[in-house]
Amino acid sequence: MLSPVEITLIKALERGKYSVDEAAKKAGMKRDAVLKAAHLLQEKGYAEVVTELRRRYFLTEEGRRYLKEGLPEERLTKLLEEGVENIDALKELMGKAEFGIGLGWLRKKGAVNIDGGRLRLVKKPVFEEKEWLKAVEEGKELEEDKIRQLMKRKLVDFDENKDIYVVIKEVPKAELKAYVADLTPEIIKSGEWKGREFLKYDITIPSKDVFAAKVHPYERIIRECRKIFLEMGFTEIKGNYVQPSFWNFDALFQPQDHPARDMQDTFYLDRYVDLKEEFEKGYVERVKETHENGWITGSTGWGGKWDVNRARQLVLRTHTTAITIHYLAQNPEPPVKAFCIDRVYRRETIDATHLPEFDQLEGVVLDRNVGFRHLLGLLKEFFAKMGFEDVRFRPGYFPYTEPSVEPEVYVEGLGWVELGGAGVFRKEVTEPLGIKGRVLAWGLGIGRLAMLRLGMKDLRRLYLPDIGWLRKIPAIRR
Amino acid sequence: MPVVTLYWDELEKLVGVDRDMILSKLPMLGCDIERVEEDHIDVEFFPNRPDLYSVEGVARALRGFLGIETGYKEYEVKQADWKIIVDESVSEVRPRICGCVVRGLEITDEVIRSLMEVQEDLHWTIGRNRRKMAIGVHDLSVLEFPLRYTTVDSSFSFVPLDFDEEMSIAEIFEKHPKGKEYSFILEKAERYPIILDANGEVVSFPPIINANRTRLTEKTSDVFIDVTGFDKNVDRALNILATMLADRGGVVEGVEVIYPDHVEQTPDLSPTRMSVDREEIDALMGFSLSEGEIISSLEKMRFGVNAREGYFEVLIPPYRADIMHPWDVIEDIAIGYGYDRIKPDYPRTATIGRAHSWNEVREIVKEVMIGLGYLEVITFTLTSERIQYDAMRRERPEPWEGYVPVMHPLTEEHTIVRTDILPKLLEVLSVNTHHPLPQRIFEVGDVVVSMKNILRLAACSTHSRANFAEIRSLVQAIMREFDVEWEVKESDDGAFIEGRRADVVVEGKKVGVFGEIHPEVLENFGIPTPVVGFELDLSELFDVGGVI
Repeated sequence: MLSPVEITLIKALERGKYSVDEAAKKAGMKRDAVLKAAHLLQEKGYAEVVTELRRRYFLTEEGRRYLKEGLPEERLTKLLEEGVENIDALKELMGKAEFGIGLGWLRKKGAVNIDGGRLRLVKKPVFEEKEWLKAVEEGKELEEDKIRQLMKRKLVDFDENKDIYVVIKEVPKAELKAYVADLTPEIIKSGEWKGREFLKYDITIPSKDVFAAKVHPYERIIRECRKIFLEMGFTEIKGNYVQPSFWNFDALFQPQDHPARDMQDTFYLDRYVDLKEEFEKGYVERVKETHENGWITGSTGWGGKWDVNRARQLVLRTHTTAITIHYLAQNPEPPVKAFCIDRVYRRETIDATHLPEFDQLEGVVLDRNVGFRHLLGLLKEFFAKMGFEDVRFRPGYFPYTEPSVEPEVYVEGLGWVELGGAGVFRKEVTEPLGIKGRVLAWGLGIGRLAMLRLGMKDLRRLYLPDIGWLRKIPAIRR
Repeated sequence: MPVVTLYWDELEKLVGVDRDMILSKLPMLGCDIERVEEDHIDVEFFPNRPDLYSVEGVARALRGFLGIETGYKEYEVKQADWKIIVDESVSEVRPRICGCVVRGLEITDEVIRSLMEVQEDLHWTIGRNRRKMAIGVHDLSVLEFPLRYTTVDSSFSFVPLDFDEEMSIAEIFEKHPKGKEYSFILEKAERYPIILDANGEVVSFPPIINANRTRLTEKTSDVFIDVTGFDKNVDRALNILATMLADRGGVVEGVEVIYPDHVEQTPDLSPTRMSVDREEIDALMGFSLSEGEIISSLEKMRFGVNAREGYFEVLIPPYRADIMHPWDVIEDIAIGYGYDRIKPDYPRTATIGRAHSWNEVREIVKEVMIGLGYLEVITFTLTSERIQYDAMRRERPEPWEGYVPVMHPLTEEHTIVRTDILPKLLEVLSVNTHHPLPQRIFEVGDVVVSMKNILRLAACSTHSRANFAEIRSLVQAIMREFDVEWEVKESDDGAFIEGRRADVVVEGKKVGVFGEIHPEVLENFGIPTPVVGFELDLSELFDVGGVI
């Protein structure tokens, strides 16, 4: 059933276009009611509400004056006809500016010539412009080129108004009351709908957009990675963003003069910790020995002096390995399988692929009878679960692993793409912390996955979200 | 990591195979090919292999890897009468020097280019930007031996490279491009290292600049190389240069370095010996290789090897700066064997998977927020005092006790780690004003207070009719889902409008705040519509697990 307002409106009108005022007059309704009814009818496909821009031309101040007093050329003609021919006198009478305008137009029309300071009329000019001005003043239609001429002389200007029209596309033929339109609680309760037909809506008209609340696409990738790790039997670990250099660098056998430890690349904090627990457990002493001379690890060490003060300084962790190594030190007995997916920091200038903070994924396996071949097995399985069936391995370099490997996955359309790094933790890393067995480790930047999965070119978009983009990006792709 | 430019004509000539073969094999030796051009390739080698920073070094390694010329390569050092006398005063500033002479070179533009490139890369990597090690290459014919390595004061002057008039050391620091670039290394020095020849003429002012008169020319065929610094990296760099020039056909002659208390012969191009356990190889590889496979793999990587009972005696070439531990050799066995030939095997390590409560709590909270119609966003944790506190009409807390400031921030926007999420959400709204309303967003994530991570939830809603009732409804719904008894207390948080702001209190403790954002805050962020929001401390409400 159409609502009363809709019925009133549509009954009053036939097919055709009406201004709101016109429709209001015909239906005896208020403008507001007409608009409301028209919108409702529009949803059902009977009407359309259209907005049209309308130009209204009006005279400028100058235009109004000319209409009243005559155009300058008209006035000049009149003076010439009265016998005033001396240019100076004409200037005096008309004002210098208007005389100039008048003369200009008369010359254009070929109506005058100048002869030694005198002006002579050679033919009688016609002044249609005054008629045009009058037409504009009265709101009559005027040809476009005439309007243009007047506008050029700045005698006419315009403003624009929006006019709303109701277009009736179809008047339902059958008795309007026989249809059920909006199904209301009253109609259901009364059973009024029984035996009646339902008004058919135009289902092709799109409705207003609403947007789903949903998980950030990047978090969805992280969720997927977590699930894979948990399925593979890994324990999830969590660590603070602020870490002592000891765990971020020294425990990982990064020499204290290593370029990666420069201020250039790391966010240092002006704060030093006592490393009390690390001293008590003997880590500090053994790490120092290992750096200086290899301790009992079989290594030559880096040589030189290792300075505990540098290890005390806090940093915003540059990798999650600061957390995994500390966890392994706390859990040194095999078997251990652990993973961490979390934020890390690099002192890097922002561009499309470099961010000062990003999320990193890392997995470690500690066991006695595992080696490099098993690391490759882990990587193959992990990437296969991520949907990368083809994986190949190239030698890599990371300061705390030996051997090191750079896995590459095959991506349709891109070819072989490097995805993260992996290796077996060096003995210089595991032995000073009392970790028993070998540690297989791998990691990768989630941003890289996001680029492959979401086809992103600019990672900045992840962390300063464009709500339009988030609304548009589908929750699932086929 | 250094990117080395290798020209095809030279590389093909030195290796003895064509470019397609090189392109297919090079990555399996350990590098990233950055660019392939018609006349050259740019290759990024790893920082542990400075011996690959020259075309000669790469050719040597590739010839081994491709089986063209395998095993240990002997390098001879001819005895000669070249001497450097070291003055005691250098021990304070730059104690170590070594050197060698290479004769019979054909110094073409290619050789000069390769020498300069390898020099730069070595300076940057093992030299740590010339701090630990710096190299000088000189025309032997203008030098009068014995040389003296001593110190001078800042008024001492000579004609530095690329200049034609004398400059004092002080002037070099001020005016010479290299002086300006590297003066930081000698910042604290009172006297400056200098190498003089027997006539008292300057050879070099390490680690800054050579004398102009010793520069190489097309007529040069014999060179003298000096390397100065602090430790064994000095010898490593010299070995890399000497072997590289020997590969070019040069004859290496030794230099005797006479310290006040001892004498050394440099360079030492004899191999280092290391024992590598057979069992250790199998264990680290994760499978067993035959003795023959181990030997051929090592020889492909240009090691010398003698099989012994249960172990291998490995001869490490003098240019290999990276072998610190038997595992470094085992990695080379793996590379020589071929990573592509190793059969991956999933480890049988049996463990049970366990999620961390921190992230489990996050997942449940997300479910509730999405159910309530809020879109998840993620933001940077780096931010500034201005956004976190000033723009929020909140007082700045004490650093360290409150927020963590970073040293040497790169931009004004990233000076601290966030202690609150709500300001980050307002930032998100401020860049999204052109998208349709309502906008309802949330983030559940970490903030750092007193240097420790805390789990927070914040959300906000903006549209023309956003008001206190809406946000109170939201907090009510969330607390109902969290099964937490709570009460409100009037808040004094400046970010919200007085009388329309409330602290969330649980068991007498404030765990959050909500209300209508103050219009001055909206103005600060440039948000034209009303915003309501809240922030809750989830670490206080739930057991979020242990944090390392």
